[in-house]
Amino acid sequence: MKRSPQLQFVVDRMGPGGVCREGFLGSDPRPLEEILDADNSTVAGMNRTHAQIAERLQTVMDVAIAAQGRGVSVGPHLEAGWHEAMGRIPSPWPGEGTFSKGEMELTDARTGRTVRVTPLAVHLIAAHGFYQGRGSRYRLEPDELAAMLGL
Amino acid sequence: MTELWVILISAGLVLGISAAFAALLLVAERYLANYGQCVIDVNRGSRRLEVRGGETLLSTLMGRQIFIPSACGGKGTCAYCKVKVLEGAGTVAPTEQPLLTAEDVANNVRISCQVKVRNDMAIEIPGNLLNVKQYTGAVERIRDLTHDIKELRIKLTDPPTIEFVPGQYVQLMAPAYKGSPEAVYRAYSIASPPHDAGYVELIIRRVPGGTCTTWVFEHLAEGDEVSFNGPYGEFRLSGTDAEMVWIAGGSGMAPFWSIVRHMKQAQIARKCTYFFGAVRKGDLFFTDELRQLDRELDWFTFVPALSAPAESDQWDGATGLITEVVGKGVSDAAAKEGYLCGSGGMIDAAVKTLKGKGMPEEKIYYDKFT
Amino acid sequence: MILAQPPTELQPGFAATLLVILVSATFTENILLTRFLGMCPFLSISRQLKSAVGMGLAVVFVTTCTCFLNATLYWYVLEPLKAYHIPAESLKLILFIVVIAAFVQLMEMLIERISIGLYFALGIFLPLITVNCAILGASLFMINKDLHGLSALVYGFGAGLGWMIAIVLMAGIRQRLKRSKVPAALEGPGITLIIAGIMAMAFVIFQGMIKL
Repeated sequence: MKRSPQLQFVVDRMGPGGVCREGFLGSDPRPLEEILDADNSTVAGMNRTHAQIAERLQTVMDVAIAAQGRGVSVGPHLEAGWHEAMGRIPSPWPGEGTFSKGEMELTDARTGRTVRVTPLAVHLIAAHGFYQGRGSRYRLEPDELAAMLGL
Repeated sequence: MTELWVILISAGLVLGISAAFAALLLVAERYLANYGQCVIDVNRGSRRLEVRGGETLLSTLMGRQIFIPSACGGKGTCAYCKVKVLEGAGTVAPTEQPLLTAEDVANNVRISCQVKVRNDMAIEIPGNLLNVKQYTGAVERIRDLTHDIKELRIKLTDPPTIEFVPGQYVQLMAPAYKGSPEAVYRAYSIASPPHDAGYVELIIRRVPGGTCTTWVFEHLAEGDEVSFNGPYGEFRLSGTDAEMVWIAGGSGMAPFWSIVRHMKQAQIARKCTYFFGAVRKGDLFFTDELRQLDRELDWFTFVPALSAPAESDQWDGATGLITEVVGKGVSDAAAKEGYLCGSGGMIDAAVKTLKGKGMPEEKIYYDKFT
Repeated sequence: MILAQPPTELQPGFAATLLVILVSATFTENILLTRFLGMCPFLSISRQLKSAVGMGLAVVFVTTCTCFLNATLYWYVLEPLKAYHIPAESLKLILFIVVIAAFVQLMEMLIERISIGLYFALGIFLPLITVNCAILGASLFMINKDLHGLSALVYGFGAGLGWMIAIVLMAGIRQRLKRSKVPAALEGPGITLIIAGIMAMAFVIFQGMIKL
């Protein structure tokens, strides 16, 4: 299916080498529209909103950043660590400015699962309900994420 | 026989008409996409460039050896190549909008890689950008400083020396390699002192999935040719002789490693205390060298601090977040100057700590990573 | 068929004929909702009103011009060649596409040169149009209807306008749809196709009002 030039621009910027080396879509074979729709229904099915998930992530990230690289406990079973990186990265969507690089490693002590969250990822969830493509370094499964955050 | 003619005439007709349109398009391209000779006025008459139109402003300026900082190589993603265009830029393109704030638009600031030179233009750029040059050199040494920080020592070949103020940075070009289709530029502070003019040292910390750092860590080898442009940046020592507090973390070491060696060489005996923060002992580097300088120079004090030392580190130095260590180590900061380089979180916290100690905000200079 | 002979502009009632052509091309024979041509951008670019209008304007412009160009090419080059057994009917398909593609390319260059503002508003849609079947469809229907010169121009304009009206209506509906609950299985193209079907039924009432 054809896309509007605006959305095609976003998808192009999400590819490898567009905004970042690895891109946002990973090895996900689905088109962007389908990824968004699927994650949308998952979140709606939990009776949550993207804004709630993003807000909780932001709170956790603020704590992790303030710890300046030292690991910090951010919940009953949740450990967070901040890895600083130089520079800023723009959102693939136009008009949204740039976000500082660096990533938060979030580990659930119960399951041992670790996810990586960046400031841009939090923004993409809040503004677009975009959790990135499967196979990408920063893919977040909305249901697992919500469970980790106690939502 | 007639059928053959019909086929031939039909084919000829289709080919003829297609060729006519192709020719028309070529002629149109020749005249419509040709913007002829354009004049770019830089900084209200300080330089006047006569260039061929049709290219982007960024690449046109680069062709004339004026290097605007740009990280993404002109793809319109990094927003570093902002230039004030006083005249002749035309409408803001949809590709620029994402990267411009309302203030930028009001000030005629544009993304120079997205603005085409179509007519005469007048632009304004920081004066020191006119001194920026393109350098090539060969990697003389790459060594690990920590598990994720490398030091790069580059011997300059063309031009053979560089002049800069300690604290400034250069933009290293990571060429296209497997997995990264286009060349990109990334900014790194110069870690070597200016009297070592034939060399440039960079301290590079690995960014997960980063385009340039992946290249440095996995592809770059000693002897390889590299190119960069610079120097850029306003981070430098002030002209006063006030006592200084330096605070850095990770690769934020670089400007101070340059400055302290420059001060030693130039015999600038200005009192300063250098707080360097890391998480574990394995994240510290240049500790022996800096402790040696601490012993040699009576005006220089080096305070490394670990925020979460492991048992095996056997650490007896300062412990805690670097801001806590600064809070304990600095008493009255009202007459001192602060110099900070590192992550955004660290700098924000350090500015708060120093202000709490009475340091006026305008006396705090920083080079934020973000 | 009154229009079998190319009418001259001095003929009384010619303006009325043009009006009939316009209304019929726009409404009774709406190229999108009665012929279902140009569905692809209709489904994908009708998410936002602004891009729908941009795309619509680009289509109006291109159909108007290419219908006129193709009419000229057909009636003055291909039709006379029929006497020499040249299969004009088959050749027109190839040649019309060539004309449309070249015209769109040319326009893209021209618009970029003349007005950057217009280029950003309209130009980005032009490459999408080259392969839009509604454009080719308009030219082919025009030949079937035996339209010449000014009539062809007006027909092209009407066809484009009809397409634009349809996509703008759809964009308006879809913007409201964002706030309503749609069954998960029908989200996106599914519900859009159903809406298009209902809209097409509404356009059926125009049928028989005027016959060209």
